Amino acid sequence: MLEIYAGMVLVALIGIYCVVRKKNMIKKVIGLGVLTNSVHLLLITIGFQENGIPPIVTPTNIEYFVRYAVDPLPQALVLTSIVIQLSVTALALGIVILAYRGTKTLDMEKLNNLRG
Amino acid sequence: MLLILFSATFLVLVLRRDEIAVAAILFSFFSVCYMLLNPDIMVVRFGGWLPPFGIVWVLDKFNLFFALIVTGVSSFVAVYSLKYIKERRYRFYTLLCLQTIGLLGISLTGDIFNLYVFFEILSVSSYALVAFFLDKRAIEGAFKYLIAGSLTSTFILIGIGMLYGLTGTLNFADLASKVSLASPYIVALGLMIAGFSLKATIIPFHAWKPDAIEGTPAPVGAVFTTASTAIGVYGILRILFIFNLIQLNWVLILFGVFTMLVGAFMALAQVNVKRMLAYSGISQIGYVVMASGFGTLLGLTAGMYHLFNNAILKSILFMGAGIAIYVTGKDNLNGMGMRNTPLMVCMGIGLLSLSGIPPLNGFVSKWLIFMASWEISPVLTALAIIASAITLAYSFKIFSAIFLTTERVEKDVPKILLIPVVILTIICVLIGVFPQIGMNIVEPAANALLNHSQYITAVMGG
Repeated sequence: MLEIYAGMVLVALIGIYCVVRKKNMIKKVIGLGVLTNSVHLLLITIGFQENGIPPIVTPTNIEYFVRYAVDPLPQALVLTSIVIQLSVTALALGIVILAYRGTKTLDMEKLNNLRG
Repeated sequence: MLLILFSATFLVLVLRRDEIAVAAILFSFFSVCYMLLNPDIMVVRFGGWLPPFGIVWVLDKFNLFFALIVTGVSSFVAVYSLKYIKERRYRFYTLLCLQTIGLLGISLTGDIFNLYVFFEILSVSSYALVAFFLDKRAIEGAFKYLIAGSLTSTFILIGIGMLYGLTGTLNFADLASKVSLASPYIVALGLMIAGFSLKATIIPFHAWKPDAIEGTPAPVGAVFTTASTAIGVYGILRILFIFNLIQLNWVLILFGVFTMLVGAFMALAQVNVKRMLAYSGISQIGYVVMASGFGTLLGLTAGMYHLFNNAILKSILFMGAGIAIYVTGKDNLNGMGMRNTPLMVCMGIGLLSLSGIPPLNGFVSKWLIFMASWEISPVLTALAIIASAITLAYSFKIFSAIFLTTERVEKDVPKILLIPVVILTIICVLIGVFPQIGMNIVEPAANALLNHSQYITAVMGG
């Protein structure tokens, strides 16, 4: 378990680095995706259980379910979050396309005119 | 109520009729007003699940206070935009409806993941609203806002994940009994507070705001500086108080003072009217955060009263400046001179009130803030008065740039643009003369926040 958490932190740091340091707008959007996916990893890991079974209740398996089923709630959260991330990414790419049409560059520094 | 807003969103998109959106937002405003009359805490359980499990919505005085600000500002903006937005208006109204849904959902929900979902609805619709004009400035502002906003909403999600991993619940009231001051909880809550600070534009998280607002239509600027900052403050206060983190209040005071002063100085240096008003909004939020950080009843009342007044004043100013932009077609302080007596009176009252001149509403709440800060330390009062003086300085700069220049554009102002501004100005003067009107709304809200045990019992027991 600990390795997964460490991996999650590592992936999150890669994502943040990518968002903050890269100048290319598309790379920034990719960085956001990496960052969000690291959080999804965290959520899934929280609900994980070793030798877990899918959380489906049948009339016969209640006891077995309580002992071995993985927590279904984080999975529901991750599904919701993936949908949200999809829409954010789509919007971001839309804005990038518009920016590219206007300036013919993807360099954030050349686009940066508003200051102060 | 929310269902009506949701269906209105789709109807507007499909039928391209803007009146539906206006009607839906006005309806939600009046239903929030109606619910404010109800003395009890209302709890709505979705799907019939008992509280620690299903999603609950809680309507206590504190939540409804923010819902009132949100829907109020949105309805004035909705009426105003009927004329202000000239093209692709149905898209604007679709986004505005979505944004109102997000804001309202955040302020009413009692479940942290539900809160995250509404937070994202709010964020996505506001990124799109920033980019609405599709020109160079709008695109740049939208991209910056998008990057900053997505980063911090990821922080909120990490915070939620950690809290769930530690306690196994997502319900505010249930969490309140399980969260302690151990370090993992502090990290999780700190991440969430950082996320809300972005919406509230407390200074280290403010950088997106002037850029975003410079490119947006002026009425959207009004929503950003009032409703979404109010929601940010709501998140911070709710988390701090329901989890009994009052010991961390010095952080709020520190950031509040910093925000207040830096925001005011930055506003003074601007040449673009929307940018100046954006910084001014940041500075006013500094007052709110500082006063709320005192943690006393007086401080909280003062802070929330100022938030309420700021919502009224910033709406007046953004819409007033919007009229000037509409008439002159420029938003630079040089060259947006115009002549219109009602607008001049409204903007004048708004600006004077913003800098705390009696007998207007800004004076009432600033006076309360001065009194509350005097109890803590006179130094804070002095700093607040300095920031107030700077406010007067930049207020005069805006006023003279629009109304006191010699080169004017002579053009008629459409009535529908003036009506919301005039109504808000009348409210502003009324509250200034009879402060008790505002007090009746604010004081129960501050009380409800301090006595959060009522909130918990209302959700959990029964």
